[in-house]
Amino acid sequence: METDHIRTRRFEPLPETGSDLCQLHVGHPFIRDHLPNLMDWRNLNNMKISYTILAGFFSILLLFVTTTFINYRQSERINENSEALTRSSTILKHSNRFQRNVLNMVSGLRGYLLTNEPFFIQAYDSAMHENDDILHELSELIPDSSAQGSMLAEISALNTHWSTEFGKPLIEARRSAGGSDSSMAAFNKLYRAKMVTGIEKNINRSLQNKFREFSNYEYASREAQRAGLTASIRNTRRISFFLTVLSIIAGIGIAIFLANYISSGVVKMVHMAESISQGHYKVSMRATGKDELSSLARALNNMAGVLAENISLLKRKNDELDQFAYIVAHDLKAPLRGIDNVVTWIEEDHTTELSPKVTEYLGLIKGRIKRAENLLNGILSYSRVGRELQQRETVDVNQLIEEVRESLPPHSGIQLEVQTVLPVLQTEKLPLLQVFTNLITNAYKYHDKPQGYVKVYFKHLGPTYEFYVEDNGPGIAQEYHRKIFTIFQTLEERDSFESTGVGLAIVKKILDDRKLSIRVQSEPGQGATFIFTWRANE
Amino acid sequence: MLKVIQILLVEDDNLDVIDVGRTLDKMAILYKMEVARNGEEAVRILSEKTAAGSELPDFIILDINMPKMNGFEFLDALRSRDEWKDLKVFVLTTSGEKEDRLAAKGLGVAGYIVKPLKLNNPVSNDAFNLMIDLMNMRG
Repeated sequence: METDHIRTRRFEPLPETGSDLCQLHVGHPFIRDHLPNLMDWRNLNNMKISYTILAGFFSILLLFVTTTFINYRQSERINENSEALTRSSTILKHSNRFQRNVLNMVSGLRGYLLTNEPFFIQAYDSAMHENDDILHELSELIPDSSAQGSMLAEISALNTHWSTEFGKPLIEARRSAGGSDSSMAAFNKLYRAKMVTGIEKNINRSLQNKFREFSNYEYASREAQRAGLTASIRNTRRISFFLTVLSIIAGIGIAIFLANYISSGVVKMVHMAESISQGHYKVSMRATGKDELSSLARALNNMAGVLAENISLLKRKNDELDQFAYIVAHDLKAPLRGIDNVVTWIEEDHTTELSPKVTEYLGLIKGRIKRAENLLNGILSYSRVGRELQQRETVDVNQLIEEVRESLPPHSGIQLEVQTVLPVLQTEKLPLLQVFTNLITNAYKYHDKPQGYVKVYFKHLGPTYEFYVEDNGPGIAQEYHRKIFTIFQTLEERDSFESTGVGLAIVKKILDDRKLSIRVQSEPGQGATFIFTWRANE
Repeated sequence: MLKVIQILLVEDDNLDVIDVGRTLDKMAILYKMEVARNGEEAVRILSEKTAAGSELPDFIILDINMPKMNGFEFLDALRSRDEWKDLKVFVLTTSGEKEDRLAAKGLGVAGYIVKPLKLNNPVSNDAFNLMIDLMNMRG
C-alpha cells in the first residue's frame, strides 16, 4: 500500500484512464507543491545538459582567468613600483650627493683661494667631476619634458654658470697670482668682484634651493605612487576575493542544479521502469524539455505506450482465447453427450440384438467419449483459471493439505507425509488448493510402486515460500521437464482415461498469472520433486 | 383409475425428445405428448387449442436454447395470456448450467428436468413426482 502510494505520485495519468492506471490528479498535493518548481526547471532545461555542463564549466573558467589576469596585472604594477622606487632612491641619492659636492666645491674653492694649497683644488676638482657624472646620470633617469627635467636643466645651467663664471676664472687667477704682484692684484680684484659682492653666494644658494625643490618633488611623487599602489593592492585583493567566491558559488550552484536535475530525472525514470516491471504499463512522465533527460523520458514514454498497447492487445487476445476455448469446449459437450445417450440407449434397449463384436465396439466408443469429455472438462477448467476473482483470506496450509488428503484416491500403499508445521498465509485459497491438489494427485496417480510416499514440505525464502511436493514414483526424464507443463501433454498412453495432461498446465497457468514459478527436479527411476514459489503475504 | 397426462414438449433437439420419451416410458408414466420445435410453434399449438376450446396440456417441458423463440421468450408469452398463466412448466437444463436455472427462477416455473435425463436425479425427481401424482389423480 505504501509503495503504491509513492509510486503513483510520480506519474501523471495518460488521457485514457484504465483500471490498472496509476492515478494522479492536478489537485494532488504532490503536483500542487512541485508544479511551480517543475515549470521553472523546464524553462532552464530547454538547454541540453551537456551544453549546461560546458557553459557552467566555461563561466567558472572565465571567472578564474579573470582573477588570474587581475592578479598578474597587480604583480606587474608592484614590479613597476619597485623599479620606480629604486630609480627614485638613486635620484635622491644623486641629489644629496650633488648638494654635498656643491658644498665641497665651494669650500675647496675658498680654501684654495685663501691658502693656495693644491689639496683644496683636488677636492674641488673631484667634486666637480662627480657632479658632472651625477647630472649626466640624472638626465638619463629623468625625461626632459617632465617638471623635474626642466628643474634639472636649470640646475645644470646654474652649475655650469657657477663653475665657468666663478670657479674656473678664480682658480686660473689664483694659480697665476703666485708669479708676480700684478697678477696678485688682478686676482685680488677678481676675487673681490666675484666673491665679496656675494653674487657667487647667491648663485650657490639658488642651486641648493633648486636641488631641495627637486628632491621634494621626488619625495612627493614617491609618496603618491606608494599610496596608489596600496589602493591598487587593496582593490585587487577585493576583486580577486569577490571573483573567487563568485566562481565557487557558481560552481556549487551549477553542480547542485545538475546533480539534482539529473538524479531526480533518473529517479523518476527508475520508478517508471519499476512500475512497468510490476505490470503497470499505462504510465508516463513529464518530458517537455529539450535536454537529453527529457528525450530519454520521451523515449521511455513511447516505449511504455507501445508496451501498454501491446500488453492490452495481448491481454485481450488471451481473454478471447480463454473465452473461445470455453465456448468451444462447452458447446462440444452437448453433441458428445448426445452420442453417449444414443450408445447408452442401444446398450439398454437392444443388448440381445447385438453381436459381441458390436458390443465391444460400442464399449470403445464410450471410452473415447469419456476421454473427449475429460479433455473438454480439462479445457474448461484451464480456461476458467484466472476468470474468477479470488479473495484474499487467511489460509492455513496445514488444513489445506488435509483437504487435499481427503480427496485423494484410496491408494493404500502410498503415504502422504507432510512437514509438521506448514505456514499460515494471507492469500487466495482456491488457486493454492488447486496447485496442491493437482501436484499431489499427480504424484498419486502416476505412482508406479506398491509402497511409496509423497512428501510435502517448504522453505522460507525472503518474501516468498518454496513449496516442495516430492514423490518416489517413476520420475520424469530431463527432456520432458518443460513439456509436462504444456496443456494436453501427458506421458501416459492415449487411451488412459485419467490422464488428460491438463493438471500441470493449470498449475503453471495459476503460477504464471501471479508471476510465480515452478520447476521440477527428477531423473527416471528417481522420483520427482515439484518446487513452486508462493508469496508469503500479499 | 389413472389419468393420461397431457404434455407439450418444447425442444428442438430430436435426441432430447427421444430422451424425454424414453425416460417417461421407463417411469411408467401414462402420457400423451405433443412436440413443438421452438417457442413460436408452441405458442401456435396453444393458441389453436385455446381457440378450439380443447384441453390445454397438463405440463409443458421447455428447453431454453432454441431457434426463433427461446425458452425465456416463450415463458414471457405464456405469462402474457390469462388462460395460460397457470400452466405448469418444467425447464430442461443441462446439469451444471446453474445460470439457466437461476434465470428461470422468478418466472414461476414448476421445476427443472436435468439433461441427460437420469432416473434418480433429485432435481428432476420433483418434476416427475408431480407428474406421477397427477397421473394417480392425487393432489
